[in-house]
Amino acid sequence: MNSFIVFEISASALGAQGQRMNVIASNMANAHSTRTQEGGPYRRKDVVFSSVVLDSCPGEFKGVKVVDIATDNTPFKMVYDPGHPDADKDGHVAMPNINIIEEMVNMMMASRAYEASVSTFNMSKAMFMKTLELGRL
Amino acid sequence: MSDITITGLKTGQEFSKVTANRKDSGKGFDEVMQDAIGKISQIQNDADNAVKELASGGDVAQAIITMEKAEMSFQLMVEIRNRLLSAYEEIMRMQV
Repeated sequence: MNSFIVFEISASALGAQGQRMNVIASNMANAHSTRTQEGGPYRRKDVVFSSVVLDSCPGEFKGVKVVDIATDNTPFKMVYDPGHPDADKDGHVAMPNINIIEEMVNMMMASRAYEASVSTFNMSKAMFMKTLELGRL
Repeated sequence: MSDITITGLKTGQEFSKVTANRKDSGKGFDEVMQDAIGKISQIQNDADNAVKELASGGDVAQAIITMEKAEMSFQLMVEIRNRLLSAYEEIMRMQV
């Protein structure tokens, strides 16, 4: 139905921010992982958002979708820790290129964006319900 | 609304002409209502399925939004029913 476009768009935003949180959780969890299946320390991941035309509401109004989960190729942090099993011959360990503080900020942004979408949804629902009261005495 | 006709005052032949005209000019009110109720029922089924999918690892936000849509379309239907009933009651109160 036409009046449900705004809800579809809010839903797409909720889904996209949810996926962003998944990626941030993965980064947080692996902030100290020195081994991965591909070999080497964990590399930071980042989401790429794209606006998309939703099947349920073609036209000018676009939803949002996570189109790619990109790998951050900035260099690893070298930490001096000779006792570490993955230390090189100089005693340096390559740690993931993750800054916990940066991830915290990203997480807050994802959370705020999610809240904003929920507010959009609630406000649209309130408007819809108000429409039903038109002409009621 | 220029084509309002009081069909009760017409002869049987003219009445069938009026109803035939109505069929030609598109859907009647009853069909429109049936379509609308069918769509609302479909939305209710979608909400049902979304809740079932939750059990097998579906998306919570999606399920809630489908449920909200079901609620809103249902409220819309109830509102239409209330307006129709009040119009009907208004007519029944009419002095002849």
